Amino acid sequence: MRKVICLLAAVLVLALMFSGSAYSARKKIIRIGVNAPLTGDIPKVGEGSKYAAMMWLEDIEKAGGLEVGGKKYEVELIIEDNESKAESAVKANTKMITQDDVLAIVGPQSSKQAVPAGEVANKYKTVMISPWSTNPNTTLDRPFVFRGCFLDPFQGPVVANFITEEFGFTKAAVLYDVASDYPKGLAEVFKAAWEKKHGAGSVVAYESFTTKDTDFSSQLTKIVKSGAQVLFTPQYYNEVPLIVQQAKDLGWQGPIVGSDSWGSAETVELCGEACYGLFFSSHYAAAGAKGATKAFIDRYADTYGYIPDDVAALTWDALRLVQKAIQDAGDYTGRVEKDRKAVKDALAQIKNFAGITGNMTFTAEGDPIKCAVIVKINDQGEYEFYKSSCP
Amino acid sequence: MELARKFKEMFSTVPMIGWLLGILVGVLIEFYWGYDYISYYLGLPKIPVLFGALIMLKEPLMIPGAIGYDLIVYVIPVFLVARVTTFATNPLATFLEKLPLIVSVLIHLVFFYFILHLWSGINDYRELVVRLTMVSIILTISINVINGYQGEFSCSHPGFMAIGAYVSSILTLLLFTNDKIFGEALLPAYLGPWFFPIALVLGGFAAAIGSLLVAIPSFKTRGDYLAIISLAFMFIVKSAVENLNAIGGARGMGGQGEFAPLWVIFIWTILAIWIIHNFVTSILGKALNAVRDDEAASESMTVKTRKTKMTAFMFGAFWAGVAGGLFAHVLAYINPGMFGINRLAEILAMVYFGGLNSIIGSIVGAVSINVLGEALRPLELFKWIIIPLILIFVMIFRPYGLISFKEFNVKRMLRAKSKREQGA
Repeated sequence: MRKVICLLAAVLVLALMFSGSAYSARKKIIRIGVNAPLTGDIPKVGEGSKYAAMMWLEDIEKAGGLEVGGKKYEVELIIEDNESKAESAVKANTKMITQDDVLAIVGPQSSKQAVPAGEVANKYKTVMISPWSTNPNTTLDRPFVFRGCFLDPFQGPVVANFITEEFGFTKAAVLYDVASDYPKGLAEVFKAAWEKKHGAGSVVAYESFTTKDTDFSSQLTKIVKSGAQVLFTPQYYNEVPLIVQQAKDLGWQGPIVGSDSWGSAETVELCGEACYGLFFSSHYAAAGAKGATKAFIDRYADTYGYIPDDVAALTWDALRLVQKAIQDAGDYTGRVEKDRKAVKDALAQIKNFAGITGNMTFTAEGDPIKCAVIVKINDQGEYEFYKSSCP
Repeated sequence: MELARKFKEMFSTVPMIGWLLGILVGVLIEFYWGYDYISYYLGLPKIPVLFGALIMLKEPLMIPGAIGYDLIVYVIPVFLVARVTTFATNPLATFLEKLPLIVSVLIHLVFFYFILHLWSGINDYRELVVRLTMVSIILTISINVINGYQGEFSCSHPGFMAIGAYVSSILTLLLFTNDKIFGEALLPAYLGPWFFPIALVLGGFAAAIGSLLVAIPSFKTRGDYLAIISLAFMFIVKSAVENLNAIGGARGMGGQGEFAPLWVIFIWTILAIWIIHNFVTSILGKALNAVRDDEAASESMTVKTRKTKMTAFMFGAFWAGVAGGLFAHVLAYINPGMFGINRLAEILAMVYFGGLNSIIGSIVGAVSINVLGEALRPLELFKWIIIPLILIFVMIFRPYGLISFKEFNVKRMLRAKSKREQGA
């Protein structure tokens, strides 16, 4: 009995003695949350977001903190892993909002996490910017939720117009993942846009597969036989190389066109020469970039050893948007509910924000009006600017 | 060891109600002084949400502070109050013993819920974790009926869960929410909470009917082959939902009303534990074990094996459907991708970690996997190395899970504990 009490007392005293910052007052810190898929299906996307966020923090720290209303505040980044799962993204958002008292959240990237996570952010009246989610539902009827990229209903017609103008084709094939909401949504939008241009039945093959499939030969055989002139496949970096290589093996001659999900550095790495000369629509082009975009790309490549994906660039822009909104709000009170609302109001007011992925102005829904870029994969395997298309 | 034994002996006279009282005191301390005084003087930015696990892993400097906080708020008050109040709690427990068992259990449950409510009310993240953990408890017990008591290796649980989640969501969305898929609400929103149990039960029934697709083949196949059939069932459900654009397809379905607050889920969890416990200890429940151990022998002993298997599958699937419905309304969003192979791995991990053939084991499994999953969150990738490693070690040292083949006895758990009885 006595021994137990002595032991407990000793542990307690030791704990108190070594708790370094004991008796220190709570500081007014600006906390920004990042909700990223660091593990799970698309870890490369999470890595890009994390690195971009760390670069942003480095800048803030170099400046000695974030200046708001004439005073400098320390900034802390809370980077949470959402495991690429919806419920984990919801948990991460709830944790950051209620436990860490973040002022704003950047992320989640994929729509299947951003849609439910946006619900949480809106419920707790906290600003959330999803840099990469293209599903309209993410921001719909949610005043506190914004996004950093264009939407599928804009991207689909851009690609359809580009193919028509560039090649003059009239018959297209589509291959997409029916189980994942981004490819499925974009495939539908593309089909509608294409058929509006070239008449019903001009999408001669509309084939689907399921996430984690690796053999597309039966779908591709149908596509090759259908007489399509171009193949549109809005897939992620883990599937694009397989699709492209299998299509070539099965005798596909025409061009293959993709969407912004191709924009990962891994696509070319895995695909190699088979992907050279292909086109996709994206948010920005790394090769031949100028100004602030080039500065960002060079710095990222120097620090982490590879050219940043569009996710990294969009995350960077989202964080800069948050930063500008906090500064525009003018006064940081430390009372988190009030500050969150001020940040939201300031963010909605931002006009012509010069981001590295283009200029942005938010609509009432929280979606930016910005240009899409058509990127060509050149013979060095770099993503080269080819054309831009503005709304 | 000597110390541990002494320690155990010292607290052996504390009845359940005494422990609850101790925990209540701890939670009250946290509630009133946790933020303003205790965590402040220990240099913690806020009340540590999951016993300080998150903050300890993120900032090692905070470890002493977090440990100190746990000691001051939980460990010391809980043990001290529990031990000191035995003079009062033991007579109280004796008094409660004289009441009908159901009354005594209800008193304990209400008391327990009150503590849980207070504890999780301190932070919404805590509450979300508690709610999802309770859903996992229902899920784990329900799969234990099939994989443990009935002894089939069924992989179709995410499918049952998906059916329950979709059916109940469709009902509540159709009736009480203005949304894009189903249009205007048909009934006024205030009826929602009253109708919600019916939606859940209907979801459960739908899952039970779906389970016949696996139960009927189980008459003739067993083991690996049935596992493949059940796996196929899971993929059928997932692909079917993905291709049904009327219910959102791969985009999923969102905007479910907030019909699942903590107390609703608590009641459903208690109901599930109570009903499933009664089921598996009934004659039919014993028949499940008989069929598992030797099908031919039990058939010759007049056990109707087909009926038994069908009941086990339908009963397990019903509760999985209910859990799915609760899950959908906690997250207010579902998509078919949630009910895939990842979910299956999670459910199987919970049930095999906790222990087969034991309700208490399932609860332990569900709680530990959920809490571990959250507590190790800051480790990111390493979390996925540590949790599987723990699972492997459990399987090496306890091949049937932590607590297997063990039933709990409520009467024994709640009774008074005097010194005299200890000796006997």
